[in-house]
Amino acid sequence: MKRTRLNGAWLGLALAMAWSGAGQAQSAAASDPTDAGKAVFKRGNCVGCHKWHGNGGGGYGGDALSLRKTELSREQIIETVTCGRPGTGMPFFVRGSYDTTKCHGMSRQDAGDQMPPEANVFLRPNEIEAVADYVLAHIKGKGEPSYAECTAFFGDGSRVCNIYKEAGHAAAPSDNNDKAKP
Amino acid sequence: MTRLHWSKTHMLAALVAAAGTIGGSFAYAEDISPDRLLNADKEAGNWLHHHKNYSATRFSSLKDINKDTVKNLKVAWTMHLGGVEGGGIWSHGGLEGTPIVENGFMYVTDGWGSVYKIDAHGGKGVLLWKMDPKTDHDWAGAVACCGVDNRGVALWGNLVVSHTLDGRLIATNKETGQVAWQRQVADPDKGEVITGAPLIVKDMAITGVAGAEYGIRGWIAATDLKSQKEVWRTHTIPAKDEPGHETWKDDKNAKASGGGSTWVTGSYDPATNTIVWGVGNPGPDWDNEYRPGDNLYTDSSLALDADTGKIKWHYQHTPNDPYDYDSVAENVLVDVPGPNNTTLKLALEADRNGFAYAIDRTSGKFIWGLPFVKKVTWTKGLDPESGKPVEYDPKQGVQKYNASVTPSRTNKVTDICPGNMGGKNWPPTAYNPDLKLWYIPVIESCNRITLEESDPAKLKPREFWTGGGPSQPFKITGSVTAIDVTTGKVAGKAETDFPNLGGILATPDLVFSGQPSGEVIAYDAKSLAKLWEFNTGGGVNAPPMTFSVDGKQYVAILVGLGGAWDKWFIDATPELKRMQPGSMLYVFAL
Ligand code: HEC
Repeated sequence: MKRTRLNGAWLGLALAMAWSGAGQAQSAAASDPTDAGKAVFKRGNCVGCHKWHGNGGGGYGGDALSLRKTELSREQIIETVTCGRPGTGMPFFVRGSYDTTKCHGMSRQDAGDQMPPEANVFLRPNEIEAVADYVLAHIKGKGEPSYAECTAFFGDGSRVCNIYKEAGHAAAPSDNNDKAKP
Repeated sequence: MTRLHWSKTHMLAALVAAAGTIGGSFAYAEDISPDRLLNADKEAGNWLHHHKNYSATRFSSLKDINKDTVKNLKVAWTMHLGGVEGGGIWSHGGLEGTPIVENGFMYVTDGWGSVYKIDAHGGKGVLLWKMDPKTDHDWAGAVACCGVDNRGVALWGNLVVSHTLDGRLIATNKETGQVAWQRQVADPDKGEVITGAPLIVKDMAITGVAGAEYGIRGWIAATDLKSQKEVWRTHTIPAKDEPGHETWKDDKNAKASGGGSTWVTGSYDPATNTIVWGVGNPGPDWDNEYRPGDNLYTDSSLALDADTGKIKWHYQHTPNDPYDYDSVAENVLVDVPGPNNTTLKLALEADRNGFAYAIDRTSGKFIWGLPFVKKVTWTKGLDPESGKPVEYDPKQGVQKYNASVTPSRTNKVTDICPGNMGGKNWPPTAYNPDLKLWYIPVIESCNRITLEESDPAKLKPREFWTGGGPSQPFKITGSVTAIDVTTGKVAGKAETDFPNLGGILATPDLVFSGQPSGEVIAYDAKSLAKLWEFNTGGGVNAPPMTFSVDGKQYVAILVGLGGAWDKWFIDATPELKRMQPGSMLYVFAL
């Protein structure tokens, strides 16, 4: 992840480190203790259902709950990721859940057709702790997603954050056309 | 951009071809003129249009591979392609494209829109160049409802014309693989992406857009390939002073985010200079109480004047749709004998709602319609005169159809058949003009819809705007279903274990199709008996095509399961969870 632009999300941190140039800003970013959790958030494809901002939302996959509005504690998040959530699309991320270790006191057989899906990748306990810490630090309790948060997640290589920019964005030609001739 | 070294064979082919050109009979490196595009079927060995010809029949007259010889069909060569990486909400890309072949050179795309030119001479495939448009993965992949997909290229002049998921139209020099120019046509900031192949009409590239699950207002746009400027853009949802606006009766301006996407390449009738193009579902998909009225021109077939984009007629299949039954499918333009020595000029469309329709393509009038899936529950059937669902009541703003299964604010969890992926999705049909049989790639399905009330506060750019979502408690299978177009009756059904996610190729006595479990299958065109099968080991999610080079016939197909299925619908086909992402071209020959 490359960052060349200073943004609000870690302005404080950068200043605290006596920011003196992009190079150092990068190392400041690299030392964010929840970066490992962010990597898990991407690799575990949390982003595929909850989106980068964690707000989830309906759509073809049913509703992945908002992690910004979650009230779960660290332990509860860890349990949710470990075991998934029976009867919903939230998958379990630990090998052996419901088989070698019961989840919510249930085996696979007990869960029956409430058995949550198995995640595409399994995570190790330390990775689940990391992703929980990332959710707590960067997602839980946050309001509307911001440009700073977006570029902190994606870096500057993509136009994905355009829409969060206050000043608007470079309009595609279709914009003009919408006005000229519907 | 990678420019690969020319192989010796290619050099040789070029020399032979150059010699041939002097002789005047062999077309090498000849520009693609509007005339060649009009007469695409005269070039029997080539496949110049996305749907083979302007009528979108996907019928090839090549017949060295036929019902007697097909048992000897074998892999001639294969090629690994790229674009399998994920982006946005997608863990990987897939292949949904139809290869284009001109004079032994093949052009294919991968899901992120890279274009590959392959020399298919001499019984093998040699990659000549790859044009990588560097699609913005996160920008586009986060608002692609249904996968990292690109359905292929078109040819015009000396250019290869293609789209990217992030909304560009790109013209690439056919010989060098260098980008000649590009133009931003769609805007992912609004949730617009492009997955379809362009349709070339005269000197224009016609572009359709996806995004009805993200609150877009759909359109079809024409770009002049000479000036690179937009010629027209017709919105599929009327503005407030245009006819049809009165079919949006709400007070929330629902039509501004009313969907109506156009992501499947349409067809063209040169006799009347008419483009026929399918329009997708209204948004929010399931909460039709949010948008009382028929919601024109969603779920419709639209006929447009090719020069101006002006709407000539429309036929709507599911007014005020509460099921996500889009009508985005291709319209196949065919002529069949009618009563009293007349000729019926038809547009055939196999709709997501489970019914196949024949519309008079000169007037937009309904001729016949019938269910092509085994199970339809949302309506008792079509009115024989109008073709509208019998429960349709134009006096009602909000349609209930068969109310017991229709998702609504008072019936929030319901099971519908066909499921929302439809009886048939984007995978193309094919039509055999000799047998007058039309082959539909069918998803035999039901699924469960959970409705969520929409309100304007939930409408945000680049966020889902669906008013609910599907889940998959039922097993879903498939079929290839043949319809006799002279009678409007089902003529046969070859059932398959899995839904048909790839589409169909027809030849004089064969029908080719694939399965997401890996098989490519040849059926007898009349009986639909299975005559040949080969397991590619990857999920077939793209249509087969055929071509000839050096006098030899080949069948080609892209293999790599992606699209909507393996993210959103996989629970209906649990066995497919083991299919691995992949990106591979298979070419078969006798
Ligand atoms: C396949 C889609 C999917 C993936 C992948 C996914 N989730 Fe979920 N998640 C869901 C759904 C759906 C729910 C809502 C369950 C419910 O309705 O109670 C959910 C709920 C949750 C909750 C509970 C929120 C609450 O307030 O109750 C947490 C925490 C959570 N997910 C975290 C994660 C993390 C962390 C990851 C990645 C390691 C992840 N999820 C991956 C679909 C997904």
